[in-house]
Amino acid sequence: MATFTQLTIDALTLGSVYALIALGYTLVYGVLKLLNFAHGDVFMVGTFIGYGVLQLLGGPSNPSVPIWLLITLITLAAMAGCAVLGVVIERFAYRPLRDAPRIAPLISALGVSFFLANSMQLLFSATPRNYNTFALGNGELYFKGFDIGQVRVPLLRIITIGAAILLMIVLWVLVNKTRTGKAMRATSYDREAAAMMGIDIDRVIMFTFLLGSGLAGAAGVMFALRVPTTVAIGFVAGLKGFTAAVIGGIGSIPGAMAGGIILGCAESYTQGYVSTKWSDLVVFSILVAFMIFRPQGLLGRADIRKV
Amino acid sequence: MKKGIGLALAMIVTATVAATAQANPTAASSASAGTSCKKTLKIGFVTPLTGGAGFLGQEQMSWAQYAVKTLAHSYGLHVVIVPGDTPVEQGAAPAQALAQKFVGDPSVVAILGPSTSGAVAASTQTYFAAGMAHLSPSATRTDLTKTVSGVKEGTPAFFRDVPGDYIQGPSDANFMIHNLHVKKVVIMDFQEPYSLGLADSVQATLNKAGVSTIRLSAPNTTTDYSAYVTKVPSDADVVFFPTQKPADAQTFGEQLIEQGKKAKMFGGDGSNDPTQFKLPGSYVSNFAPDITGIAADASIVSGWKKANPGKSVGSFGPPSYGAAQILMNAIQLACKADHGVLKSRRDVLRKVKQVVIKNWILGGTFRWSTKSNDPLNAKFYIFQIQQDGSYKLVG
Repeated sequence: MATFTQLTIDALTLGSVYALIALGYTLVYGVLKLLNFAHGDVFMVGTFIGYGVLQLLGGPSNPSVPIWLLITLITLAAMAGCAVLGVVIERFAYRPLRDAPRIAPLISALGVSFFLANSMQLLFSATPRNYNTFALGNGELYFKGFDIGQVRVPLLRIITIGAAILLMIVLWVLVNKTRTGKAMRATSYDREAAAMMGIDIDRVIMFTFLLGSGLAGAAGVMFALRVPTTVAIGFVAGLKGFTAAVIGGIGSIPGAMAGGIILGCAESYTQGYVSTKWSDLVVFSILVAFMIFRPQGLLGRADIRKV
Repeated sequence: MKKGIGLALAMIVTATVAATAQANPTAASSASAGTSCKKTLKIGFVTPLTGGAGFLGQEQMSWAQYAVKTLAHSYGLHVVIVPGDTPVEQGAAPAQALAQKFVGDPSVVAILGPSTSGAVAASTQTYFAAGMAHLSPSATRTDLTKTVSGVKEGTPAFFRDVPGDYIQGPSDANFMIHNLHVKKVVIMDFQEPYSLGLADSVQATLNKAGVSTIRLSAPNTTTDYSAYVTKVPSDADVVFFPTQKPADAQTFGEQLIEQGKKAKMFGGDGSNDPTQFKLPGSYVSNFAPDITGIAADASIVSGWKKANPGKSVGSFGPPSYGAAQILMNAIQLACKADHGVLKSRRDVLRKVKQVVIKNWILGGTFRWSTKSNDPLNAKFYIFQIQQDGSYKLVG
């Protein structure tokens, strides 16, 4: 039972990060029908922004602000930085190709991904950056928390899962309860019709990238609080986020959330109960299975075509 | 018209591919025939300069360049190091591509590296076919120089100036048995040659001594080890973690503490980096002592520090300095034998085993073993990480 509990906590922690990444994919796809393969590298940039701000605020050994404020500030900084990055990417790499064949922005996205990864490597080298949260408050984030039976749920995990849930709620409210959200949904249903109704499509798309990239920045900080970051992590993280988005239903926000959690569970339980060697095999087999048997994902809409 | 152009292009491409396929590595070997030893000679350096093990390559590179800068003149040579990057996350492909590149360049007379066991396994046949000596300062997998279960991955052209895992594995395991009195050990591998070989070696020694072992395997791209940590029993004494990415060793150790596990971390030489793996109470083994404690190396250390301000002396750099020194020594011997004109790379290869270096940077005199292309009487050193993150020699 303790093993199951621990694995579930691992699954939720990992799944929360995947869900935040997947949300970015799904937001952009929903509005633009574009798979933004640079999204994983935006996530990676977010981890570095968080690291930089952490150092500016005194580092983990001697922070100049309380821990809760430190984590909030580095998360907000990463979200802001990534949001700006996302807007810049959209403006210069995707907008000129909006009316081009669909493969063109896809290739552009791949190019942006390589550009970001290699630029970061040139700027910051390959040395891993460790937030060293273990040193924060003498390990407070690891030693404080609550117990479920024999299993401790440390504060760090609570923060990761809690922050992801909070951000998902905020996103849901934004998309479903605001005018901007309504405009985003209208654009995703029918871009041309939305434009004819007076919606500024450019602003909506820009806002979508801002939002999605901001979530990637938050995911980056949540990830890097627990494991070191390098310039190479963007590819795998992006792949996992994309997989989560597809499993949940690309274009569906609740689907992306569900997909992230499902992916986290698949990985965690496979490693725990089957074999540590098989987790990636199982995860990507699930992806293939969904593509074959339920291509719209769990909560996505099936495409209806007029015949 | 278009069909004609297309056909012509296809024929050109086919001819190019065929010509490339026909290119014989040994042709490049003889292409270096008659190279004056007064000319600038190149030593290719195959090492991970980027990626999770980039710290290792960067450190080795700085020491190799320092060796060339300070020693080449004394050997009467003009030598430059030509770097080649083999990120560990990309597997064997970069090493294979670099092997072709260096073998095809007649001005490259020897190879420093490859640094990782996987890169050696991927490229040694190419270097051997070209008669090119390749000397690694850090590839420790046993079957690169010795036959294991009927298999020997290395070729006669491969050398290393550090001991192999057939020494490291038993050395680490025996330390755990006799000093740490372990009863149960979890052993990780990362599904690549270095960690697999070392994990197998440690596990065999522990099992023979009656220690219970649990084997876990993670892909080399793993970053979050939570689920693996969950599988570590609460009564495990040690987790043997032969990673090439020290930051991962730190992460695993922290996650062990997070989950309330008592097991101590024990890293191999690949995790030896005080800036990244600094969990107090953990253990690390390495093939080199701390040379700042060797009096004869004082001038080398101070000179290197001057050339590399702000950097600290690690464990991977000095063997790289030594390897560069051995290669330059071998080139000098070949040049003398060939009367100032290097006839072939094979001449350098033949001289490598004749090199003897007094006042070796790692202490004592460097000689080759007569039984393999390994150094004679080399050993591994075990360090314990202190509260301040420093490494203290304990075995």
